[in-house]
Amino acid sequence: MVEAVKRALGKISVEHIKLELLGTAYNSSSTFLGRLDPRMLLIWYLFFAITPWFVYNRTILLGMFIFMVVTTVLSKVSPYIVFILCLGLVSQIGWMFLLSLFFGGGAESLLPMLTLTLKLSVISLASITVFSSLDPERLSDGLSALGVPDAFAFSLSYGYRILPTLLEEFHQILLSFRLRGQRPAKHGFLYLRTAAYYLRILVLVFYPLMLNTAKRSRTTVEALETRGYTYAVNNPKVKKLRLSYLAMQRRDWLFVAFSAVYISLLFPLGASFPNLLY
Amino acid sequence: MSTLKTRYTLTQSQKMMIFVLSMSLYGLSNMFTELIPSVQLGPIELSVEYFAFIPLTLCMLFHPLYAAVGAAVGEVIFGELMLGQFGGLGELEKFITFSLAMYIAGRMVSDPKNRRQVGIAAISGVAIHQFCSSVIDIAKVWVGVEELEAVQGLAESIVIIEGVGFLNDVLFSGILFALLPTMYLVPRLYGKIEPLLGMKPRERNMQYASGSKSWLSPKLLGGAVLLALIAMGAELLSESGWSIGEFELPGAESHEGLLIWISMLAAAVVAAAVIAVVLRKASRRRQEAGQLDG
Repeated sequence: MVEAVKRALGKISVEHIKLELLGTAYNSSSTFLGRLDPRMLLIWYLFFAITPWFVYNRTILLGMFIFMVVTTVLSKVSPYIVFILCLGLVSQIGWMFLLSLFFGGGAESLLPMLTLTLKLSVISLASITVFSSLDPERLSDGLSALGVPDAFAFSLSYGYRILPTLLEEFHQILLSFRLRGQRPAKHGFLYLRTAAYYLRILVLVFYPLMLNTAKRSRTTVEALETRGYTYAVNNPKVKKLRLSYLAMQRRDWLFVAFSAVYISLLFPLGASFPNLLY
Repeated sequence: MSTLKTRYTLTQSQKMMIFVLSMSLYGLSNMFTELIPSVQLGPIELSVEYFAFIPLTLCMLFHPLYAAVGAAVGEVIFGELMLGQFGGLGELEKFITFSLAMYIAGRMVSDPKNRRQVGIAAISGVAIHQFCSSVIDIAKVWVGVEELEAVQGLAESIVIIEGVGFLNDVLFSGILFALLPTMYLVPRLYGKIEPLLGMKPRERNMQYASGSKSWLSPKLLGGAVLLALIAMGAELLSESGWSIGEFELPGAESHEGLLIWISMLAAAVVAAAVIAVVLRKASRRRQEAGQLDG
């Protein structure tokens, strides 16, 4: 236990976290799914995020799951994310199972929960596939074409732009706090003192950071307004011009057609073999 | 002059400033809290759930609506999309409960210098958010697992897991990362941060210029609660409806499927109608704005 905490604390250096964050945020690759039309992908995702909740047929769910695994492989999701997803699913279901054993359930309580796991994994794989293969610009354009408020699309691009600056500033303030402060002499029981010291600094850093960010957000908005942002957002013609490059191409239609055929074959199959899995 | 009640009004760009400020700050903090490891003590997890003090502070100092929505957007963008773990529709529920809780907490404070008021508002904001999300999590399992009653102890265990999680989040991270920092920050930032955005500090007992125009009016809130209740009722009804269908047409697998599809179709039609109405309203508003400008 102590070793684990020690190792975890050893890993936390702001420089390390910064690198990791920037690596994940800006690591967008061009995949097959990433080149598809974002509006179509988002609607495709909506279908796979909602339908599984209403399907209790395990064969259909298994078929959807296989399809999702294929698309996930196609979109080259990083194994780290898949690992986190699996861990979350297993631990959530595992705790429920253990507690239901405690309340007098048996091994038979595992089966309905397996169905739930199948549903949850279809849904999460669909979201990972779509949102990790779309780069931020296409994602925000697709969302705004589907009628999501433009403030969201703006925030998305702004977030990608401002993150390195914010991290740099955060790091500098943190360093100055550490220069002026004093680390606890002993680590304390389970490194509690050190952890408390760092968490306290982490909170205190936000006081100057809030003031700095307030100044920066004023500059940002003023710059936006000089370029006519509010007018552009409220004018449908500007939006049409901006989104005019989105078009359904042959590969989009092929993808839609394949998904539709697959799903429509899956339902009769599931109805005739409902207990294919267990 | 004195008979007029002064209202807290903001220009469009000031609203945008609050939104951007809240989004970037809370987004940044969210990236860190996603990475801070949690200490597991059996099923009880001591974790830094989120730095709720940032949106709470901003909601109390500025107009709570824009600060709350900005923080929720920041969480989605920095903490989910950029780290590649966006949950899609599941985030919608988080978004709504979080911004609602922060908004309520901000509205509870009428005097940012009153520490007791700030503290009560901070802890109740966290409690509202955690309560809503626990209830939603429980409901999710109840909808997702078909034969819930058939499984011994499943229902109880879910309620216990969620209850423990709720207590942990309110008592541990609620006090350490919402109550104490907010009580420290709000009186300190009051009067300092507002001039940086080019606005006057909120004065005591100042009213918000929300009225019927704002989208988060009491009428709408009531409507949302009513709709949620209807949705839950529909869910229960559909459960019983399926068994009726089975009773009338025994062993007819396809009819069950048909009923599911009919209910889904109805849901889709209702959703489409709502979206269409909202879109039309928005486009009309936009056209009016466009005509106004040029």
